[in-house]
Amino acid sequence: MRILLVEDEPTLAAQLRQALGAAGYTVDHADNGRDAWFMGGVQPYDAIVLDLGLPVLDGLTVLRRWRSEQMMAPVLILTARDQWHEKVTGIDAGADDYLTKPFHAEELLARLRALIRRASGQASSVLQCGPILLDTRSARVSVDGLPVSLTSHEFKLLSYLMHHPNQVLSRSELSEHLYAQDSDRDSNTIEVFVARLRKKLPAELIETVRGLGYRLRLAHGGA
Amino acid sequence: MCGWTRSLRWRFLAMTLLTLAVALAGAGWSLARLFREHASVQFEAQLRVQLDQLTAAFEPDGGRNARLKSPLSDPRWQTPYSGLYWQIQRIGSRSGDAAPPAALRSRSLWDFELQLPGDGLGVQDLHSHRLAGPAGQPLRALERRVQFDQDLQSWRLVVAADESALDAAVADFSGQLALFLSILAAALLLAAWLQVSLGLRPLRTLHDSLRAVREGRAQRLQGAYPSEVEPLAQGFNRVLDQNEQVVARARQLAGNLAHAIKTPLAVMANLADDEAIERAALARQLREQVGQIRQQVDWHLHRARSSRAGLPGLQAAVQPVVEGLARVMRKVHAHREDRPELTLEVEPIPAGLCFAGEEQDLQEMVGNLLDNGCKWARSRVRVQVAVQQCLLLIVIEDDGPGLSSAQRQAVFERGVRADERTPGSGLGLAIVRETAGLYQGSVALEPSELGGLRAELRLGAVIEA
Repeated sequence: MRILLVEDEPTLAAQLRQALGAAGYTVDHADNGRDAWFMGGVQPYDAIVLDLGLPVLDGLTVLRRWRSEQMMAPVLILTARDQWHEKVTGIDAGADDYLTKPFHAEELLARLRALIRRASGQASSVLQCGPILLDTRSARVSVDGLPVSLTSHEFKLLSYLMHHPNQVLSRSELSEHLYAQDSDRDSNTIEVFVARLRKKLPAELIETVRGLGYRLRLAHGGA
Repeated sequence: MCGWTRSLRWRFLAMTLLTLAVALAGAGWSLARLFREHASVQFEAQLRVQLDQLTAAFEPDGGRNARLKSPLSDPRWQTPYSGLYWQIQRIGSRSGDAAPPAALRSRSLWDFELQLPGDGLGVQDLHSHRLAGPAGQPLRALERRVQFDQDLQSWRLVVAADESALDAAVADFSGQLALFLSILAAALLLAAWLQVSLGLRPLRTLHDSLRAVREGRAQRLQGAYPSEVEPLAQGFNRVLDQNEQVVARARQLAGNLAHAIKTPLAVMANLADDEAIERAALARQLREQVGQIRQQVDWHLHRARSSRAGLPGLQAAVQPVVEGLARVMRKVHAHREDRPELTLEVEPIPAGLCFAGEEQDLQEMVGNLLDNGCKWARSRVRVQVAVQQCLLLIVIEDDGPGLSSAQRQAVFERGVRADERTPGSGLGLAIVRETAGLYQGSVALEPSELGGLRAELRLGAVIEA
C-alpha cells in the first residue's frame, strides 16, 4: 500500500512517516501544495493524507484540482483547528475523511485502514483468503490460525494482493504500489518476493498469469 | 475635501455669509426700487396739484391774451430758476401758425422757455414729459390742454419741476439703506459666528473628553451633552463597555488557561526528576498529562472563538449549515465495519430560517451533536429543525445504545466521556451547553423513540424570514 503524505511541518511529517512506515505502508512525502498536486496526479496512491495549510498551493485547492482531474484515491484531510466549516469545505471539495490536529498516530492509521478498505470494496479490516487471514490493524498474517512471519516487503505485497483479489496485477503496478517514488525499482524483485510468499503460504494461492502478471486466487467461500 | 472645507465652522459660516449676501442684496435692491417708485408717484401727484392750481387760476380774456386771475401762492414760482416752473402756450387754431410762442410763463423761468414736444393732445388729457431745464437740469413736466366754451382758442398748460431733487432723495435713501443693511449683515454674521461656536462647543467637549479617555485620565466620556450629541457619547461609552468586557474576558481566559495548564506542567516536571520511574509508566503518565493540557487548550480556544455571541447583526441561515454538516457525516460515518450503512435523515428545513448569531457557533453545536449521534447510531440518525415558542429547536436522534439517566447528567461535564474507547476530547457536549447558554438556549438529552439518544437543542436567537 502506497501512501502520499502531504505535510509541511517537518517534525510532524517525520513522525507520521515513521508511524506509517512501521505500519507497513510505503510513504511518499510532499511538503508543499504544488509538489503534492503533481505527485498525486502521476503516481497511483492507495490513500493520501493531506494537510490543509500548505505553502505555495493550499490543501483545498490541491484537493479540488485532483478531483477535477479524476484522481480517485481516498483523501484524508488534516485540519488545524476544530472548526466545522473547514471540515464541511474539505468534504465538499472531495475529501473522504478528516482528522483534527493534534491527533494520535494510531487514530490516523485506523482511519487510513478504513479508507483503503472502503476504496477497495472490503467490508472488514480482517482480510481473508482461504486459510489465510490478514489483519490490517495489527499487520499480522496467519495460515489456518498459525501466525506466519513476513518481512515488510512480503507483507506489503501480500496486503496489496489481498486488497485486490481475483484481479490480474502487473509487475509494474505492484512495484508502483510497493516502492516509494525515489527508491530504485526493479520489477524483477517482485518475482523474488512472490517466490518467497509462495514458500511461506500455500503455493497455489498466487497464480502467475503469463505475460500479464499475478493474480490472487480466491478459494471457494472466501470473503 | 481639503483646507477650510474640512472645518464645520467654516462651512457653516460660508453658507451663512452666502445666504446673508444674497438675502440682503435682494432686500436692498427691492427696497430702493420701492422707494423710488413711491417718491416718483408722490412727485407726480404734487405736479398734478400744481397743474390743477394753475388751471384754476388761468383765465383767457378772449382774443389771444392769457392771464392769471390771481397769483399762485408757492413762492418758488417767483424765484428765478427755483426748479418749479409753469408755462401757458397757445395752440394755434389756424394752420401756418407753426410754433406759437409761449403766451405766459412763471417768473421762475426768467427768460427761458420750455421746449415742449409737438403733441396731439386731446382736451383735458394729461401728458407727462421729460424736458431739459434752464440750466440743463432734468425736468419732469405735466401738461394739460384746456379750452373754454366762449373761446375757440385751446391752451397748453404745463407745470415742470426739477427731478434732481427726487434723484438726490433716492440716492440718499439708498445710501442710508446700504449702511443699515451692512450693519445688519455684520450683526447677523456675528450672531452666526456665536451660534456656530456655541453649537460646536459640545463637540469640542466631546473631543476633550475622548482625549481624557485615551490618555487614561477618565474611564468613560463625561459630562452632559445636548440631545443631538448625547447618543454619540452614549454609543461610544457602550463601545468602551463592550471593549472592557472583551478585554476582561480575554484576560480571564488567558488566566484560566495558564492556571489550568500549571498543574499538568508541575506533574511533568516532577516526572522528569523522578529517576526511578520505569519507561512505560513515564510514557503513560506523560500521555495523560499531555491529554489534559490538550483538553484545556481545546476548551479555551473554543471559549475564545465564541466571544462574539450576542453582538447585534449576526445572522446565519440554518439550512446550509445543517446540510453541510450532514454531507460531512454521510461521508465520514457512513461506512463502518461494525454496523450496516448509516442513514442520516434531515427533515426539510424552511429556507428562510436563520440563527441570529455566529455561523461557527451554530456549526459547532449542531456538528458536535450530529457527530455524537452518528458515532453511536446503529444505522439511523434523524435531524429535525423547527421553531417552537420563538425558539429555534434542533432535535438530533439516533438508534444507538443511548445513555442511562446518570450518564446523561455526567456527559455534560468537561472531560467526561461516555466511552473511553472511542477517540474524542470529552468536550463536545460541554461546548454545546456553554455555547447554547451564550444564545439564551439550552441542550437536553432524553431517550429517543428511535431507541437511542435524543438531543434537543433550543436557541433563543432565531430569525424567520
